[in-house]
Amino acid sequence: VEFRSADIHNSDDYPTVVAVKHMSTVLEKLSGGKHKIKVFNKGALGSEKETIDQVKIGALDLVRVNVAPMNGICPMTMVPTMPFLFRSVDHMRKSLDGPVGAEILKSCESVGYVGLAFYDSGARSIYAKKAIKSVADAKGLKIRVQQSDLWVALVSAMGANATPMPYGEVYTGLKTGLIDAAENNIPSFDTAKHVEAVKVYSKTEHSMAPEILVMSKVVWDKLPANEQAMVRQAAKESVAVQRKAWDEAEGKSLANVKAAGAEIVDVDKRSFQAVMGPVYDKFMTTPEMKRAIKAIQDTK
Amino acid sequence: MFTKFCATVSKICMVLAVIGLIAVILCVQWQVIGRYVFNDTPTWAEALAMLIVLFVTAFGLAVGVRDAGHIGLESLVVLLPEKWQHRIEVLIHALVGLFGFLMVQGGWLWASAKWGEKKPMLPVPDGIDYVPVIIAGALILLFSIEHIVALLRGEVVEPVWE
Amino acid sequence: MNMELTVLALSFTLLLILGVPVAFAIGLSSVATIVVAGLPVAMVFQKMVGGMQVFSFLAIPFFVFAGELMLYGGIADRIVRFANSLVGHVRGGLGMSNVIGCTIFGGVAGSPLADVSAMGSVMIPLMKKEGYDADYAVNVTTHAALVGAIMPTSHNMIIFTLAASGLASVSVLGLILAGLVPAIILTLCNLGAAYWVAVRRGYPIHGNFPGWLEVIKSFGAALPGLFVVVIILGGILSGAFTATESASIAVAWALFVTVIVYRTLTFQNFLKACAKACKTTGVVLLLIGISNAFGYFMALYEVPQMTGALMQKISNEPWVIFLMINILLFILGTFLDMAATILICTPIFMPIAMHFGMDPMQFGIMLLINCALGLNTPPVGSVQFVGCAIGGISVGQVMRTIGPFYGALTLAMLLVTYVPQFTLWLPNLLK
Ligand code: NA
Ligand code: NA
Repeated sequence: VEFRSADIHNSDDYPTVVAVKHMSTVLEKLSGGKHKIKVFNKGALGSEKETIDQVKIGALDLVRVNVAPMNGICPMTMVPTMPFLFRSVDHMRKSLDGPVGAEILKSCESVGYVGLAFYDSGARSIYAKKAIKSVADAKGLKIRVQQSDLWVALVSAMGANATPMPYGEVYTGLKTGLIDAAENNIPSFDTAKHVEAVKVYSKTEHSMAPEILVMSKVVWDKLPANEQAMVRQAAKESVAVQRKAWDEAEGKSLANVKAAGAEIVDVDKRSFQAVMGPVYDKFMTTPEMKRAIKAIQDTK
Repeated sequence: MFTKFCATVSKICMVLAVIGLIAVILCVQWQVIGRYVFNDTPTWAEALAMLIVLFVTAFGLAVGVRDAGHIGLESLVVLLPEKWQHRIEVLIHALVGLFGFLMVQGGWLWASAKWGEKKPMLPVPDGIDYVPVIIAGALILLFSIEHIVALLRGEVVEPVWE
Repeated sequence: MNMELTVLALSFTLLLILGVPVAFAIGLSSVATIVVAGLPVAMVFQKMVGGMQVFSFLAIPFFVFAGELMLYGGIADRIVRFANSLVGHVRGGLGMSNVIGCTIFGGVAGSPLADVSAMGSVMIPLMKKEGYDADYAVNVTTHAALVGAIMPTSHNMIIFTLAASGLASVSVLGLILAGLVPAIILTLCNLGAAYWVAVRRGYPIHGNFPGWLEVIKSFGAALPGLFVVVIILGGILSGAFTATESASIAVAWALFVTVIVYRTLTFQNFLKACAKACKTTGVVLLLIGISNAFGYFMALYEVPQMTGALMQKISNEPWVIFLMINILLFILGTFLDMAATILICTPIFMPIAMHFGMDPMQFGIMLLINCALGLNTPPVGSVQFVGCAIGGISVGQVMRTIGPFYGALTLAMLLVTYVPQFTLWLPNLLK
């Protein structure tokens, strides 16, 4: 079977696209040519939200999205988005590779999604015309967020004015001053040309919300156990490829934004961390979530 | 009796659509006011506007289908003898009605599949996006039947709103 | 061509020939295709709702509503008076003031159909009374009305940015700016055609120039209505509002002007405007949504790539490719309405045009002008139908003397197609 997998990124070299293509190669080898995966990137099959829903009813086999649009469907996916949870990229990778990561992926099964892998999406930071060195600098700033309750709460906790806005309008918004700031990882800051609009990237690294690859439960249940294992194995092997591609992309983008005149500023993270309590209280409500948070914090 | 019922339904739809349209405008303007006057962008305003506009579309569309008059007569069908024109007009309404029926079915499937998911920014289920599809589909089916009945009786469906 | 695509193309064509309304023809052919493809039928409705959930599409009902309020609120009369004071005394002057009036009103109201309804019902009878032929009156009005499609504010521009969003990022603002120079060229072409025909038919001269005072006074009277454009352009340019927010404020302003300033909008007419706006919103948004399902199949089965390959087999010269695109767009535009043509054709032709070096904004304006021409071309020419109905003559009579007007607009379209500076100069200047 040629499974179909969706991705919204335009570039054929985007790390998540490369990773799922690699997964296809591995799967083809493991299954002796029986299964492979065709990646439809550039949003050809629809938006993140649309493709997630298609996977739910089995009209699409796989989809790679950020965890944010999964938050409302599978609440455990909020855990790795939580602000200042991971101490470093290594800490994030180690935690998600471990039992906590597996538990979060597993939690989506009851709502129709078989979680296969987490991919890196880097650390997200705030960029604006001026430096934001401590939480006091963020006060009253109009910061664009994704259309998600968690993200609104996260940015509001900083005392900023959270402004939900579709990604496509951010460039114009920054340029015209409709919004003062946005937050994203370095590659997005670079490729979406946001660096043309605002130059100061303050390394708040407030969230490391990862990408997630899920398969339709409807499709999954039709596979025999040994083939399910092959899919899992192939997905697992693609993670290393994605991380390597991600690190390269991030390095390249960092050079690009610096060449474009961006200023990368270090910040007082503690001042931000200190105000994030309400976000945890509001969203980490179930015992499973609290346990997962604790487990991640305890991961050395 | 049936015609009168449909006319009343159509009138109610239009009233709801107009109220909805005004509500959508107020939502967007409230967002502007929030951003500039209170420096606090209401995060629900945009999401609510997008949801309401789906209902405006549903009601507006249904009334549009009802008030369409003689559809199909702008095509090559006008070259056919009158008897055939009449038959094809019935067929067109039947096809539109079929699509309405499929809207009800498809909308129902999605609404129920997504009723357990929370809609971002609003305290409602995500499946609510598909409720307008069900409503529009049911109304289109109803008005298509009305048109077919009228055609068979040799009557014309009078638009309630100009 | 594979089985699914064959079903899609055949069923769509058949339904259109039968005369099924275009949105339902797209919907039903999508359903037929998805059944053949072995996917759940419900997918069509998911793509439909997904296609509607784009924030900037909220601007569409707002622009439509603002246009309807102006239509029913008597803004047209003031614009007629202003245009007439300016050029009413020239040979064929009433024709030329009609062109100017229609262009201004179309610019403000945003829809050629609203334009021909509002201006046509004032100007066409007036011209007939003054001794102009009905076919001339109708042609002048309908062609001037087309310009409204590319002047700010235009909901068709929003529809184009939606259709283009997966292929290139085209900002509403950039598109508005790109349309300004072509709009002026189109207007000059229209004026030229109106004057030329007037001279050839020997239409008389009416009255004298009323003086600049009258021009200024009538401009002042029309100004509150024209201010809508300032709100929209100023709002977006300054960054105070998004396009959608600007459009919602334009509605409030139009309401304020017609109710408080002009005191011309009755409650009855307000309700009519509301009802009309809701119906148009329903039809246009269904079309946008359902085209998303249609577009999904085209992407899935790589129709743009196939069309592109086919065209490149014929020629590799950009000018030939652009000409072919224009001809195909024109043919589709003769029987599809504007929004449908934009939504169906953008994903097919824009990648090819871009491959041959055309800027997305330039493509957008070319497409809009081409689609606008289709509004005045049978078998489905909604603007022409309205014009003929007001003028009390048949489409056939109008078609016999359409030549000069059509020629002028085609000339403008060719300029846009082959001279990129026409569209790109202004947006590049303000970058
Ligand atoms: Na316009
Ligand atoms: Na046409």
